[in-house]
Amino acid sequence: MSSNLELLHSVFSAATHDASAAMSFWTKGLVTLSLDEVRELPLEEVVSSELEEKLLNMVVLTLDEESGGTIVLTFDDNSGRQLASILLSQPLPEEGTEWNELEKSALLETGNILGCAYIGAIAKCVEQTLTPSPPYFLQDYAASVLEQAIIEQATYTEKILICQTRFLQKNEEVNWNVFFIPSFCLRQKMEQSLQFDEKLSDC
Amino acid sequence: MVFSTTNTDNKVDNKITVGIGQVFGARAPATFHSVLGSCIGVVLYSRQHKTGAMAHVVLPAQVAGSADTPGKYADTAIKHMLKLLAREGVMLEHLTAKITGGAAMFNTSGPLQIGEKNIDAVKAELTNANIRLGGDDTGGTKGRRVTFDLETGMFTVETVGQEPTVF
Repeated sequence: MSSNLELLHSVFSAATHDASAAMSFWTKGLVTLSLDEVRELPLEEVVSSELEEKLLNMVVLTLDEESGGTIVLTFDDNSGRQLASILLSQPLPEEGTEWNELEKSALLETGNILGCAYIGAIAKCVEQTLTPSPPYFLQDYAASVLEQAIIEQATYTEKILICQTRFLQKNEEVNWNVFFIPSFCLRQKMEQSLQFDEKLSDC
Repeated sequence: MVFSTTNTDNKVDNKITVGIGQVFGARAPATFHSVLGSCIGVVLYSRQHKTGAMAHVVLPAQVAGSADTPGKYADTAIKHMLKLLAREGVMLEHLTAKITGGAAMFNTSGPLQIGEKNIDAVKAELTNANIRLGGDDTGGTKGRRVTFDLETGMFTVETVGQEPTVF
């Protein structure tokens, strides 16, 4: 891992820690998060073959235009339904039924709580206010959503920084993920801020 | 048969996956596959030769000093595909274009909404190169899973919650 990636790893660890605490509170200790990977990938490798053609439920938050960045929570149908039923204290609906507004709302609120905690930790690092959009719910091909999320970085660079976080339910891994893709500008701000901190600690 | 300037790890049997920013050329029997959001899938195809090339275009135009990834930009992708096909003996007069993608996936304004600009840029490049646009399924707010069959010259576009479109 390059030294810049190592530095960024520490920010994303802090963000995951805060998001995990918020999720644990929201789900009464049932769900936590664990940082999976911080990677810098060539464009064509951003979408793994595992995700390539998968239809997933997603909650998306974008950062304001000036700071830039996107958080995408992905859930396969069963996992998303499971989380919604836990949060709503309702039995799991029959397989194949349409998502109702209450279920979507439960996932949107989850995205909002998790995303705001995550972004709050990054805002502390760059000493700047970062304002996320209201969350919105998508049912689509994961690849098409990730593709849109990387567009801003792709304008400036050939390698895309992407941070992937796993969910744990009672310490068991479940098929939910969080992807955070900062804008090129936010990435630079994070790196500058961390390098400055490192220099101070060397003195 | 696949012909390309990039590696061909993306080919399994006769199925060629065209990843973000990539370009591949191939002859029948083969199919190009991709999943598109705001990017554009452009195919240049010769029915006579049953040969074509597909690019997965990310942005409208190359920024000065950016790396050599011709498939990434509308302005460089079309030129690169023409070169690839010319090397296989397929000339401009044989070619028809089909395009798909260019969705506005997120409910926001600003630089993330690049889909419309990508559509305009690709169409302008095709006009500049004198290539006839033989089919177009672009825009909207949903992702697309697309397959182009080099045997038939047809695109099949799958969108969540809709019947597949063939053109």
